[in-house]
Amino acid sequence: MIKPKFDEVIHAPTRLSIVSLLAATEWADFGFIRDSIGLSDSALSKQLTILDEAGYIEIRKGFVSKRPRTSARLNSVGRAAFEQHVRALQEIVARAGASVLPPPDSSAKR
Amino acid sequence: MSGELRPEEAAQALAEIEQRKEQVLRLVTIPRWFFWAIAGLNVGLSAAIESRRPIVVGIGITLFVVGLVAVILRFVLGSVRHAQPRSDLMPPSGVFAILGFVGLVLAVTLPAAFLLQANGVRYPATLGALIGGVVMVVGGPLLTRYLQRAMRANASGGRR
Repeated sequence: MIKPKFDEVIHAPTRLSIVSLLAATEWADFGFIRDSIGLSDSALSKQLTILDEAGYIEIRKGFVSKRPRTSARLNSVGRAAFEQHVRALQEIVARAGASVLPPPDSSAKR
Repeated sequence: MSGELRPEEAAQALAEIEQRKEQVLRLVTIPRWFFWAIAGLNVGLSAAIESRRPIVVGIGITLFVVGLVAVILRFVLGSVRHAQPRSDLMPPSGVFAILGFVGLVLAVTLPAAFLLQANGVRYPATLGALIGGVVMVVGGPLLTRYLQRAMRANASGGRR
């Protein structure tokens, strides 16, 4: 049973997008996150640093074909915080009497 | 802050989370060229073996191995270039679908080849591989669509 807990660090709009992407992946490449969300390199670095300092993500730096490559993954603390945050959001919506579930085909239309 | 958050804002945040998850699920795709390439390699190998000429068999096997490694490497490297979707997003039904697809291709290819051989048709294995290749090329994209649907349903189910 996941306990609802609103998380200020995660809820900031850009970080919510980043953490949502990371929550669905084992790890994600810096470029993939940047392009998916539409951030500059520096803006993404800043947000990843905040998440790293909060202890929610792990950042890996390495080389692929002599090119530097950075990737990030949500660790167990971050994943738990994200799940609790989602539950808190669902509760807020549920309390208002609306359904927290998206329409069945909403994701397919995006 | 959660006390100040309006339900519409919370719903908007949940929609954003869904949208990002969908972005990741779209990465789980087996490109059409992959099925064409595997089918082509199978047909080429069968034809080489049925030629019964040692030099052709040798070249055919070499090309098959090199081609297979190249196709798999290109597919895997292309898939993991951006991000790796969580492995637990794939439900058991997805794994069974993949195994079922491989089984279907074999279930079509082998009986077809034996039937053709029994009827004295020339190059039965090549023709069998060709028929199996058609199943692969037609069914592959359907399998991909099914896997994406299954993962989407699994991901939504896990959160509800």
